Amino acid sequence: MVKRLGILNAVAHFILWLLALYFFVKVGAGNLKLSFCGFFYADALSAFLIFTTATISFAAALFSISFITTDLVLRKISERKALFYYLLFNLFAAAMFFVPLINNLGCLWVAIELTTLISSFLVGFYNTRHSVEAAWKYLIICSVGITLALFGVILFTFALSSATGIKSLNWTELLAAAKMLDPTIIRVAFIFILVGFGTKAGLAPMHTWLPDAHSQAVSPVSAMLSGVLLKCSLYAILRYGVVVADCCGASFYTNLMLVFGLLSLTIACVFIITQRDLKRLLAYSSIEHLGLIAVGVGLNSPLALFGALLHLFNHAVSKALMFFCAGRVAQAYGTHDLGKISGVSRALPVTGLVMLAGVFALIGFPPCSIFISEFYLVSSAFLCGNYWVGALLLGLLAVIGGALLYHFGKVLFGKPTIVGNPPQQEFSPAESGGNWLAYGFLLFFILGLGIFIPAILQQSLNAAVSILRGE
Amino acid sequence: MNWLCLFAILLITAETALVSRFPALLRNFRYQSFCLALLVFLAAYREGGVSLYIIAFLLFSLKVLLIPYLFDVLIKRIGSSDHLGLFLNAQVSLFLVFVLGLVAWFFSGLVVAPPAYLEQLTLGVACFVMLTGVFLMVSRIKALAQVIGLLMTENGVFLAATIIPGGMPFFVEITLFFDILISVMIFGLFIYRINAIFTHIDVSKLSGLRG
Repeated sequence: MVKRLGILNAVAHFILWLLALYFFVKVGAGNLKLSFCGFFYADALSAFLIFTTATISFAAALFSISFITTDLVLRKISERKALFYYLLFNLFAAAMFFVPLINNLGCLWVAIELTTLISSFLVGFYNTRHSVEAAWKYLIICSVGITLALFGVILFTFALSSATGIKSLNWTELLAAAKMLDPTIIRVAFIFILVGFGTKAGLAPMHTWLPDAHSQAVSPVSAMLSGVLLKCSLYAILRYGVVVADCCGASFYTNLMLVFGLLSLTIACVFIITQRDLKRLLAYSSIEHLGLIAVGVGLNSPLALFGALLHLFNHAVSKALMFFCAGRVAQAYGTHDLGKISGVSRALPVTGLVMLAGVFALIGFPPCSIFISEFYLVSSAFLCGNYWVGALLLGLLAVIGGALLYHFGKVLFGKPTIVGNPPQQEFSPAESGGNWLAYGFLLFFILGLGIFIPAILQQSLNAAVSILRGE
Repeated sequence: MNWLCLFAILLITAETALVSRFPALLRNFRYQSFCLALLVFLAAYREGGVSLYIIAFLLFSLKVLLIPYLFDVLIKRIGSSDHLGLFLNAQVSLFLVFVLGLVAWFFSGLVVAPPAYLEQLTLGVACFVMLTGVFLMVSRIKALAQVIGLLMTENGVFLAATIIPGGMPFFVEITLFFDILISVMIFGLFIYRINAIFTHIDVSKLSGLRG
């Protein structure tokens, strides 16, 4: 029953992925701007985020088939709970699909808040001491953040209403009136937006919920949290950023993004070096990559923005792959403790091999796609004349890469140590068809985009860059 | 009348710094929400909009009646003690809340120009309520106090929204109320779970995840 539901869920997400691909090609590459009743709005940027969401949710749906079945076999969850998982999974995905399609900034706020409320159940899914603690911290910290963001939304509305008399929260109307808005109010409002949505996006120093939530969530959901959820909040910041840049000049917004981006990279670097938990290690790596995207936005050149958007997708697929592998390893070993895991390449040969590829992808080794986007980001820093930013990026990426290689080297090689509960005999090391498909699907993007960027993607990203630059 | 409501909100909010028991905190939240609903009702009377009357009614029924009732039920069910557990004592809390008031007043002056005194005062009080809500969340040990702190912060945000001529768009406000109701129920559910698993709702002891 649960397996059949999992397969049905994956088929539904595949259909959704095909629709998202069609939408992406039509709207993204065609540089269309669609509006429906003034409430829904889609352009190249929205289409790109929808495609990213569809890609990760399809991969997660594929991986969920065997993951949830294995959890059932290992008696970690009941059948009823497995069914509940699929309900929450789809509600969570639906909320994330909704975010890029909303024109009304008040409803965008509600959609982002809904993603928190729904995913909190998926973080606390196993109902253990650690998972409930993580879910509580996630709920509280993100709710405070998002409440501050709501205050920012109100200040934006106040600025629009006082300057033009328009009583609207639509992004398109806000952008059209950007030059008439009071720059002081807009600056203050944006700080609240950045801190508020930045909390949910995992930007340091507001990131404290992220390692807890990502490490305790069900692994396919960790992939969705890291791959898409963080980007949904970043998307909201970017939308407001365009208005701020038009109203007060780009430097205020870009400098803030640069500062938060570099801070995130630095803090992630420290915690990655000292990390002792496999899934927390991946969570801190997400903070690092979000920091990189923020730096790209902060540099604000067309090349940097192109690199940042490409990195958004590349990180989503690479990190999803790594969370899937980490989930398999945690099921086999019964722990995420790095000190208790070794010899994965021998205990789980396929997962080990995919994990090795994933580590190289995360570090940014050629020919993986992250190499290309990181190359764009670092080179744009030097081309913009921000030599110290470029040098800092190179230094931090080198240290983080070294630390990841060290940690995963210990996990992948050596004598296999299957310890703890559940016992190994109840866990099947053979990979299911769903896992093969999920790995293959993500590796296709990781390796494919590292070698060649299709013209459709290039056109779509260029269109999205133009939107971000207010052109 | 607006000035009176704002003054009442200011006093009630400042008094929460001295509160050390949950029923008193809940009562303060109820009074604060009542003043907020009254402010919106006055705005509705002044501007004549039906939507504002509906918002005032929703504020009253949700934040003055329903949410406090739900918390009453929850606290009886989990059987936790009434003490909020203070990280900082009442005197220090009051001093810090006073400092937050000054910060809020300075901030409101930044955003609203001097001729608009009522707007400036409203925004100042709104920021004060928000900051005090956040302060309560970090300075009180019990999970319930954190949720009330969050709801007070939301009250501050709603108060700030009253400076927008005509308020926020109606359907956005309705969605926000729906969101608040859902989030309160989810918070309640998690408090229940924390109490079942940890046998307490002391958030200072939720420290199993570090690094």
